[in-house]
Amino acid sequence: MHPVIRLVNRNLTISLHPGFLIWQVIFPLIYIFIAGFAYASLIPQIPFAGKSLDYPAFLASGMIGFNIMNSTLISGIILWNDRRNGMFQQILVGPFTKNHYIISNVCTIGTIGLISAVLIALVGYPVFFESVEFSLLTIPLIIFGSVVGAILFGSLASIISLKLRSSEGFNAIINTVFLFFAFVSSTFYPVDNIPEPLRTAFYLNPLTYLVDIIRAGIFGTFTEFVLLEMLILTCIAITLFTIALKLFTRLDF
Amino acid sequence: MSSCIVADHLSKSYGSLFAVNDISLSVKTGQVFGFLGPNGAGKSTAIKLFTTLIRPSKGSLTVLGIDALKNPLLIRHKIGVVLQQPSYEPTLSVEKSLDKYAMMWNVPKPERKKRREALLRDFGLVEIRNKRNEDLSIGQRRRVQVAREFMHDMDLLFLDEPTAGLDTSARRKLLDYLKNKVKTGLTIFYTTHILSEAEYLCDEIAIIMEGKILTVDSPDALKSKFGKAKTIKIRISKERSDISTLLCDVSECTVDFGNNNNNNNNNANNGNDDNNNNNGNNNLINIVIHSEQSELILSRVLKILHDSAIEIQDISAVPTNLEDIFLKIMSDDASGN
Repeated sequence: MHPVIRLVNRNLTISLHPGFLIWQVIFPLIYIFIAGFAYASLIPQIPFAGKSLDYPAFLASGMIGFNIMNSTLISGIILWNDRRNGMFQQILVGPFTKNHYIISNVCTIGTIGLISAVLIALVGYPVFFESVEFSLLTIPLIIFGSVVGAILFGSLASIISLKLRSSEGFNAIINTVFLFFAFVSSTFYPVDNIPEPLRTAFYLNPLTYLVDIIRAGIFGTFTEFVLLEMLILTCIAITLFTIALKLFTRLDF
Repeated sequence: MSSCIVADHLSKSYGSLFAVNDISLSVKTGQVFGFLGPNGAGKSTAIKLFTTLIRPSKGSLTVLGIDALKNPLLIRHKIGVVLQQPSYEPTLSVEKSLDKYAMMWNVPKPERKKRREALLRDFGLVEIRNKRNEDLSIGQRRRVQVAREFMHDMDLLFLDEPTAGLDTSARRKLLDYLKNKVKTGLTIFYTTHILSEAEYLCDEIAIIMEGKILTVDSPDALKSKFGKAKTIKIRISKERSDISTLLCDVSECTVDFGNNNNNNNNNANNGNDDNNNNNGNNNLINIVIHSEQSELILSRVLKILHDSAIEIQDISAVPTNLEDIFLKIMSDDASGN
């Protein structure tokens, strides 16, 4: 078995405890079924790429991207815990390289991101099934969003955990950054009606691109702009991954 | 006998500070090599170099015949390492952490189960097999950490203070387990602060201080090289308070009237019960001979005692141990000898 697969196996074993899985499903369910339907009375219909969507459907599709981002917190947590509990050094005196370690982390969060996306898609399906337009692009776009989004946010979480020494600092920064990403994005509301300069801020946020790509896959609204968003998301993911890899390689013992 | 580790003028510096400074050593295959030194001497840095966790600043290093600079991963496939720092997966049970560790080493599943059961038994972990690592005591966690390393095959095992946190019984069991493993062909590189452990286990010992190796030899050779001076103790009745005057011409002989230990430093660290008991007995005077020619001095002292009709209450020789040697080498080095 390849070293990366062995490390992914290990990462999944230590990360996927029942509490995490419940949180991964229950948390988005609360958003979709409680916030979604509660806000539906205030926001009856949302214009989206020439369509008109119910708010719960709009929110449920946004929650897929949001959940992918949330699940990548695991990357930072694995790295953080491994350093704190001595497993980081122990792994690196074993039959593994630093590249194996970081690639396995990315694969772990990619896998969790994908599983997370599928779970939310299944759970959210009842609220957006009327608007779904399956096409040949649906599955590839969701997979693309899950994997590239996982690499992007996972790298970001890794950078933060590599730079911070205290667990309090790590938790404070990671929660603040991810909260900012969640609310300054198109997850909960459409960008079109947002006033400037908040609108610009939305487009400085990679989660906006990720959510737009997922929605394009679900609602069949793939356009040139979505293609541009895919390119931008890929570039940011590559940049952050490169930075994380460099920081990680420089890490001394 | 071939060499397992060959370090040639190996150095590791952090800025201007040399953690390991120009060390050269050769560890023979199939032996237990002890690495002794005070805190901050460079033991852990040396282990990190030998296990390829860090790269040397200067020098060359071959481990198991493989160049550590060119192919560190190949070396890491063949070694086992128990680092000084605890390492564990908090949420996994003892059983599961052994199993997952073996999986990481690509040990086939049926073999994993067999080894796991044997190690749980050998390390006294059967009763806590289902406990999570985070719920274990420090000693139990350490036992799991050491046991875990035997889940995979290796030619060379690095143990950095493996008995830290273990009780006396667990410590002895581990040392005996390691002795048995060495008989099967395993080479062990062992660092410890506990010199009696090194004496019990090691075939060869290196003493390191301030990043430099001061000496390398077998425990017996170190004793004969640095432990020529023997300590002999004679006890006489306190009634003869003129003993100091009688022995004033005998060099390397001190008299202790039992009021304090200052004249008897050579034995202070031996934990010698006789010594402690005697200090509590105000009726006895200690005559302590500490010399490389202690037998000659002893005969002179005995003659004086005989001529002065002084009755000897007790006479004993204190065996030289590794701790004395270690302290002597350290003090010689500090004084530039």
